[in-house]
Amino acid sequence: MVRHMVEQEMIGRVGRVTGKVTPGHIGEVMIAVRGGSEAFHAYGSEPGQTIVNGTRVVVVEYFPPRTVVVSPV
Amino acid sequence: MGTFLSAAAAIVVGLAIAAILLVVLVFRSMWRIAEPNEALIISGRAHRPRGEGHGLGFKIATGGGTLVMPGISAVRRLSLDLRETDLEIDCVTHQGIALRVRGVVIYKVGDDLVSIANAARRFLDQQNQMDQRVHNLFAGHLRAIIGNMTVEEMIRDREKLTQLTREHAGTEMEKLGLIVDSLQIQEILDPTGYIKNLALPHQSAVEREARIARAQADREATEKEQEAEAQKALARRDSQIRQAGYQAEVDQAAAASRQAGPLSDATARQKVVVEETRIAELEAERTEKQLLVEVRKPADARAYEQVTLARASREAHIHEAEARAREIEVSAQADAARVKLAANAQAERVKLEGEAEAHAAQARGLADGEAIRARGTAEADTIKARAEALAGHQEAIIGQQLAENWPQIVEAAAKPFGSIDRLIVLNGVEGISEALTQALGQGVAGLQAARRVLGDPGVAQAAPAASANGSAVKEGEPV
Repeated sequence: MVRHMVEQEMIGRVGRVTGKVTPGHIGEVMIAVRGGSEAFHAYGSEPGQTIVNGTRVVVVEYFPPRTVVVSPV
Repeated sequence: MGTFLSAAAAIVVGLAIAAILLVVLVFRSMWRIAEPNEALIISGRAHRPRGEGHGLGFKIATGGGTLVMPGISAVRRLSLDLRETDLEIDCVTHQGIALRVRGVVIYKVGDDLVSIANAARRFLDQQNQMDQRVHNLFAGHLRAIIGNMTVEEMIRDREKLTQLTREHAGTEMEKLGLIVDSLQIQEILDPTGYIKNLALPHQSAVEREARIARAQADREATEKEQEAEAQKALARRDSQIRQAGYQAEVDQAAAASRQAGPLSDATARQKVVVEETRIAELEAERTEKQLLVEVRKPADARAYEQVTLARASREAHIHEAEARAREIEVSAQADAARVKLAANAQAERVKLEGEAEAHAAQARGLADGEAIRARGTAEADTIKARAEALAGHQEAIIGQQLAENWPQIVEAAAKPFGSIDRLIVLNGVEGISEALTQALGQGVAGLQAARRVLGDPGVAQAAPAASANGSAVKEGEPV
């Protein structure tokens, strides 16, 4: 199914941090998906990692419905 | 035949059209379109997608059309629209300050299939109650969020607010298939005045600056105004001084012109007076000279005459007096010599007489002494004898003494009358006799008193001496 493929394609997408990602806290990233852009909850891919606002990140893991693990590009 | 055929053809065409219409209508009744803001939840037909949608049990259609078999499948719409819920809660900040917060939360059903499925399972029949549910949920979340913030952070730190919103509410909302787009705090009601107090220091500083600036501006303006006033006053003063000066000149000129007539009159009169004065002076001078000739000169002559005469007279008197003095002097000297001689002779005679008399006196004194001693002895005896006799015959002796002194007593009693120049008695002869009787009565009363006095033994001793000089009578006088 096309839609199913879209979900799979989340991994590898590049987004932008809109809420600082710090250890122990949930960050936020904006990712272009389904023809629009949506905000996802974000965690850093490495422990103790801090990613400040505006950093470009790549999605390395996706937990439906709204959570991604990101790593700075 | 032809009409039959054409009729048959028409029927066929009609049937075909009807069939097409029917197909279209059926298709229309079966074809469901999902609008961009909604998801179709199709259930009923066995639906087994693979992968993510595995085990879903129903079909979700978004952004397109899908064919639904009426009677087999049921189609329901889930709105993906933005929704909002107003919140108003009483809460306490991280610092323990009680606040009333009004906020709004904006959320929607997530666009991904999982979110739609979660939301469909929870809210499909209660879409209109979704706001109420979310309100109840978010009241607690907001309270927790604010409990982790301070008032200052609420006002200034948007980042922290969204962060906390995400942490507290995000995952929980995920369970409901909802995503929180935004949480806004619209209003903070602050019954304790904390926010107002936060503002106070800066506000006061600004106010102070404003007041200082205003005061400074006011001062400068006032200074300038006063300077301008002073300059105006100065100008006014100068103007008035000048006006007064001009006015004075005008007045002076006017007065001068007004006085011109009287002044010339006065000048003319003055000249007249001057001339008259000179005339009077000349007349006075003439009179003076006349008097000099008529009065003073003769008077001077007379005075000189008298002075000369007086001087001559004085000279004559002086000479006369001197001559007399000389004469007196000479005669006095002669007298003095004569007196001196006479005095010497007299002195000699007195001396001789004194000596003779002294001898005589001495002899006489001796004789007298003898005589007095003899008489004293005799008198002492007499007094002694009389004292003895007195002890026995006091009354008789007093009577005798009174008889001896009677004339003096009567005289003393009559004394008041003697000093009277003229006696007027109002009741005739009887009056005279009465007065005499009264006077004599007084004398008798004096007699009684004298007797009383003499009757006193202390006085009786001195009685002979008193009777000798009449003091007994004098004692009776004041009675």
